[in-house]
Amino acid sequence: MTCIERASPALNQILLKLYSAEKPMEIDHHLYEFGSAEYHILSEASDPRVAFLSISTAPLCPGVLATNELSSYTIEMIKALCPAVVEIAESRREGYQLTLKLNLTKIPRGKDYIKVIKEISTVHSVILSSQLKEILWNFNSDNAIKGMHKPIKLVYNPREPFFVIRQPQQIIAVFPIRFAEKSDVIISTAFFQELVDVGSSDRYAKAPPCSWSAIPPPELRGEAFEDLSTNGGFVSFDISSHHVDGKRLDKTVWNLLNFNAYVRYHVKITKGFIQRRMRKRLENLVEVLHHRESLEQDNEQITRHQGCSCTKRLVRSSKYSILKQRWGNLGRKLKRIHFRLKIQGFGRFRQRWLRLPKFSSREYTKLD
Amino acid sequence: MSSTRRGNHHHHHQSPMASTLRPYLTCIRNTLDAAMCLQNFPCQEVERHNKPEVELKSSPELLLNPVLICRNEAEKCLIETSINSLRISLKVKQADELENILTKKFLRFLSMRAEAFQVLRRKPVQGYDISFLITNYHCEEMQKHKLIDFIDIDKEISELKMSVNTRGRLVATEFLKQFI
Repeated sequence: MTCIERASPALNQILLKLYSAEKPMEIDHHLYEFGSAEYHILSEASDPRVAFLSISTAPLCPGVLATNELSSYTIEMIKALCPAVVEIAESRREGYQLTLKLNLTKIPRGKDYIKVIKEISTVHSVILSSQLKEILWNFNSDNAIKGMHKPIKLVYNPREPFFVIRQPQQIIAVFPIRFAEKSDVIISTAFFQELVDVGSSDRYAKAPPCSWSAIPPPELRGEAFEDLSTNGGFVSFDISSHHVDGKRLDKTVWNLLNFNAYVRYHVKITKGFIQRRMRKRLENLVEVLHHRESLEQDNEQITRHQGCSCTKRLVRSSKYSILKQRWGNLGRKLKRIHFRLKIQGFGRFRQRWLRLPKFSSREYTKLD
Repeated sequence: MSSTRRGNHHHHHQSPMASTLRPYLTCIRNTLDAAMCLQNFPCQEVERHNKPEVELKSSPELLLNPVLICRNEAEKCLIETSINSLRISLKVKQADELENILTKKFLRFLSMRAEAFQVLRRKPVQGYDISFLITNYHCEEMQKHKLIDFIDIDKEISELKMSVNTRGRLVATEFLKQFI
């Protein structure tokens, strides 16, 4: 499930390859990933100790931020990623929001290098998480209308926006769900029902309470029509202060960003699961119907018992047909063997002398 | 002319739905047991042809009265018999939308692979979800009670639905665990 992992798998692979290369190598890669992320990795053979990683990502909340620049808070969070290895480059590459200078010689030797490179590959998730945190923290009193805060529309995946509504005691995250096919809608609805059911149990009391409704929740009344028209309903999570304390904040933020992707992945896997179950059941059913071995065994058992005459006739007819079939096969094999031996003039000889005579009262064989 | 039989309601501790299932299946089984007495009968209209008379319906004297067995308004079974062939059509219960799509998927899956079963009709009779065509040759080659057991589709759909819901529950649990 690569779209939900924090570390970019492609970026991770390229950095690992660069680090473990025996000879200095030239790399100039452009990568495009889920969530509108764009990377550029540059490494020159003349200076193998350094690599440049440029990144660009679409703004999470297009309407709120005036520019596309990364905030100082985001820059600080990125600097905290392996400070010994990662530096912010003085000038960024054209077309990108940020360029990082990676000092490859400062990556520790031994098994830790995998962990360090993986942490560097999480740079996109760090940017997104910090942007969402800022949006949630920067409470703007202008947004409060009669005690209700205006919903903030967040766009992680362009076709799947979701809303965050800040309230005095909690934050509500609302996900409009849309699918192209009806069967996907039904599978996802069944999943949401299970999600609500599990979330309301005592064991998961600490998880954010979630609910599903077919109609838009009252908090979203007034939003654009195209944002509220769905076929899969609306899923809401109530995030309280407990869920954003300390280290939980990162997890909560990342889970919310990837909820849509998680649901889609589950629907896709479930369809594959259904297909496999049906195929396996089909094989079992075919085996049941065409179980010839048990049929022959049953026939043998019938002959041992004294049954009625019609049963004996059934057994005889099946044995007769098996014998006839086998004789037919043998005859055909013999004929084939004969035809393989090609001797000049033998065909005529065989027809004249090797054919079994037919004795019939109506015909007679002319004697030479 | 068709005759209709209704499954009896037994007063057990089980739910009303479960209490009607057994008599319904027993009724179908007994009817099939009686109806699967097929014999070879060449076509009366075309020389050297042998056709399942239940499909053609050209000679009324070769057809028996069809039997309709209803468990309720949503579930029924139609058994049409002739001298050399038998057609069974089933309408399967679809309690909710998930059962609806699972039933459609599963039965379409089977119908598209009808040649593997030999007794399955590629297209169900109108008004039903799945149809089987059994001829005297099938009765000679296959075991009768296995053919009858094959027809219990309801159980398949229920198991499929349960496994989908169980899977959804596990995935939901894994998702919520990340918040704890």
